[in-house]
Amino acid sequence: MQNLDALPAEIARRDPQDYAVDGVVPAVALAPTTVEEVSACLAAANDAGLGVIPWGGGSHMGLGNLPASYDVALDLRALDGVAHHEPDDLTISVRAGCTIAELDRHLAEHGQVLPVDVARPESATIGGVVAAGLAGPRRFGYGSLRDLLIGITVVLPDGRIAKGGGMVVKNVSGFDMMRLYYGSLGSLAVITQVNMKVIPRPRAQRSVVARFPTLTAAVEAAEAVRTSQLVPTAIVVLDEGATRRAELPDARWSLCLRCEAPPVAVVRQAERIAAAVRNGAEAAEIVENDETTGLWQRIALALDAAPAADTIGVRVGAAPSQLSVVSEAAANELAALDLATELTLDLGSGLCYVRAMGEPAAMRRAWEELAQLGLHATLLTAPHGIKSDTDVFGRKPAGFETMRALKAEFDPRGTLNRGRFIGHL
Amino acid sequence: MDRAALRERLEAVVGASGVIADPTDLLVYEYDASDEAIAGRHRPDFVVLPESTAQVAEVVRLAREYGLPVTPRGAGTGLAGGAIAARGGIMVVMTRMNRIIEINERDRYAIVEPGVINLELSNTTTPRGYFFAPDPSSQRACTIGGNVANNSGGPHCLKYGVTSNHILGLEVVLPSGEVIWTGGPAPESPGFDLTGALVGSEGTLGIVTKVMVRLTRNPEAVSVLLAPFPTIDTASNAVSSIVAAGVLPAALEMMDQLSIQAVEAAFHAGYPTDAGAVLLVEIDGLQEAVAESSNAIADICRQHDAMEVRVAESAEEREALWFARKAAFGAMGRLTPNYYLQDATVPRTKLPETLAFVGELSREYRLRIANVFHAGDGNLHPLILFDRYEKGAIERVLNAGTDLLQYCVERGGTVSGEHGIGLEKKDYLTLIFSPDDLAAMAGLKRSFDPLEYFNPEKVFPTSFSCGEVAAIKESGVPVAGGLGLEDVV
Repeated sequence: MQNLDALPAEIARRDPQDYAVDGVVPAVALAPTTVEEVSACLAAANDAGLGVIPWGGGSHMGLGNLPASYDVALDLRALDGVAHHEPDDLTISVRAGCTIAELDRHLAEHGQVLPVDVARPESATIGGVVAAGLAGPRRFGYGSLRDLLIGITVVLPDGRIAKGGGMVVKNVSGFDMMRLYYGSLGSLAVITQVNMKVIPRPRAQRSVVARFPTLTAAVEAAEAVRTSQLVPTAIVVLDEGATRRAELPDARWSLCLRCEAPPVAVVRQAERIAAAVRNGAEAAEIVENDETTGLWQRIALALDAAPAADTIGVRVGAAPSQLSVVSEAAANELAALDLATELTLDLGSGLCYVRAMGEPAAMRRAWEELAQLGLHATLLTAPHGIKSDTDVFGRKPAGFETMRALKAEFDPRGTLNRGRFIGHL
Repeated sequence: MDRAALRERLEAVVGASGVIADPTDLLVYEYDASDEAIAGRHRPDFVVLPESTAQVAEVVRLAREYGLPVTPRGAGTGLAGGAIAARGGIMVVMTRMNRIIEINERDRYAIVEPGVINLELSNTTTPRGYFFAPDPSSQRACTIGGNVANNSGGPHCLKYGVTSNHILGLEVVLPSGEVIWTGGPAPESPGFDLTGALVGSEGTLGIVTKVMVRLTRNPEAVSVLLAPFPTIDTASNAVSSIVAAGVLPAALEMMDQLSIQAVEAAFHAGYPTDAGAVLLVEIDGLQEAVAESSNAIADICRQHDAMEVRVAESAEEREALWFARKAAFGAMGRLTPNYYLQDATVPRTKLPETLAFVGELSREYRLRIANVFHAGDGNLHPLILFDRYEKGAIERVLNAGTDLLQYCVERGGTVSGEHGIGLEKKDYLTLIFSPDDLAAMAGLKRSFDPLEYFNPEKVFPTSFSCGEVAAIKESGVPVAGGLGLEDVV
């Protein structure tokens, strides 16, 4: 443990017990307050051959393979707040430790919004959300956060500070480093600041909620809207469990659509959507302005990747037209295993989120089955016992050798998130 | 191994008609749409026109075996010299791979080969209710593969985002010779976002052989407004106000007086020649939303002294206005023998002062400068008009361009918004990026192309190119030289 002495002494320390990842407690938890301090921490850890796991609010720490070794927790929450906001440019630069809720409150004061869905906005940090790369149902209307990033600052494992992009909305100067780091789970570099496009906060919103007896009926109604010229910003179908979680009236299947636009248009659109989905529905109603935000916040719990003791969360990707088939298969597997389930189908984009609760053996079996479904499947969170002998990122994609090369090039000593990313990189 | 033998082996892969090696036939491939005075002329040793992914992979393997650089190319409409064979070698021209393979409306994607022309794709899908959103002004000629390489923009990127937002997956031949698919119809493929890294990499990381593009549903309603303003200053203030007011048009374009005159002389599209500048604004979406937003934008224009606000009533009228805008660069031939088209972006609030600075540059360097650009994005396109045969003209043009880029960077802008870095802008990257910033980008390059033989000399500043040569030597890979190719160029 002597090589821990190499870590800079002037950096604030935290209680390592609070930074366990999959049951592994680090030797040290550091809380740098500036990008220079992050650089000093990383350079020292990298030199000493220590394994570092960057932390934000911990709300995505269920995502990742079991750490191969873990010496240092790097808590980035002290790099907080908005670095630069030019409201009239609709751009903002935010330090990694700023929470999504804090960012939203800031933007709301200026009548703007970052249109993302995050399961735990009060604790999730922007750095963590970019690193995890999970985007919710509003990507149908606005694209994912991936497509809203315009600039980024990171610290490379050897301590060098590197920027990409800038503060303008259109930029092809140099490689697109934002997309490389987005969703890389902090395995290439530590994100310290991100620049984003924001949009005017919709002046009105409505949701349409309809209840259906079968998945087929719900999906048919959703498809009718998805292929029309109506422009909802999100389309999801929830099973019974997910309906309860969203605090909606009991239903075998619920279809929820979100409308955000100028006031006159939004009211008219909600009426048109309700009319379109009413066919085949047991009931269809319009949820008013003030209730819509809360409803979609509860729906976003489907994306939760916080560590869980008694639940697994799985994301399965399929072409949108195949999503109901894949989801039906998932539901059948889970029913056979006697697990309590919550299924959320993001029909706008082609992702199905499954949460299953029950006996560890049944949950392990469920992941093994779900991992085979669709085009890709990821274990978003699970008790760490279930993560042994598996890759939580599922099947290896065709470009895996290039991914291995990226990891070797950026982090040759395996300092960052050792063993936690795809293929245990 | 000699040149004749390599030619024979290339012909065995793509057929005799797929290999160009005669110096006179190669002439056209020494250039792209960038100005020769800026990007220079570079002759490839061979131009190869493959017809399949397998052929591309085989050509790449031969290039690797012979230690020759590989330069991918589409229609050659790039403006930054990105598709020029800076170090000779094999140029792989993708225009024969031009099939639309699949259109899937339900899942909103199409799979196309890279040689498909941008406009052809939208012309094919629009009657079916969908379009491909990126619409660079060269869309009548440029290829989807080139759009991917350059992360191309276009007027409608204001609302819909640049090319990268519309690419779901790629089939790509890697420098290793391996063929892989990245991404797919479902988002969030696990692992690093190779699709995102490849888009905009200007052919330095691989050759794209199939593209899965996102199709966007045709909007229910479209409205186009034309607003002439007395001065460029009043017009640019209106742009800033529109953006700040929170109404997001699909496109928000500006043309100044010089551009209007060129366009009217060439196309008679109905732009008012007495205006200091015009704004062309397109609003799309739901009927009700379009009506609400159009009224709001018209009001803002009037508050900023618009001379009138005209609404294009019919689809034909809309088409005519857009045609003239997109053909504006071509119309410059009415005004000048040569022009240098700059491309830079500033934060949108900085537009008025930046356009005023462009006016100052025009006076200081005694150069006429026309402005036709994506105002809503803050993406400037000053066209610096000159005559190549006038003594000292090129030098003045280049100096004016450099001054402008410096000005934009100082105001928080960047050196290229949508045309790319290529050869033209690579030494300007040091204005915005530190050596450490560039080192991280070089890490991305080496992960894909450790031998650094794909589109060499591009994107990275000259000093970095030296590093690339050193890396090739260190790794003991043969460098073009043993072939006697230096005699050819």
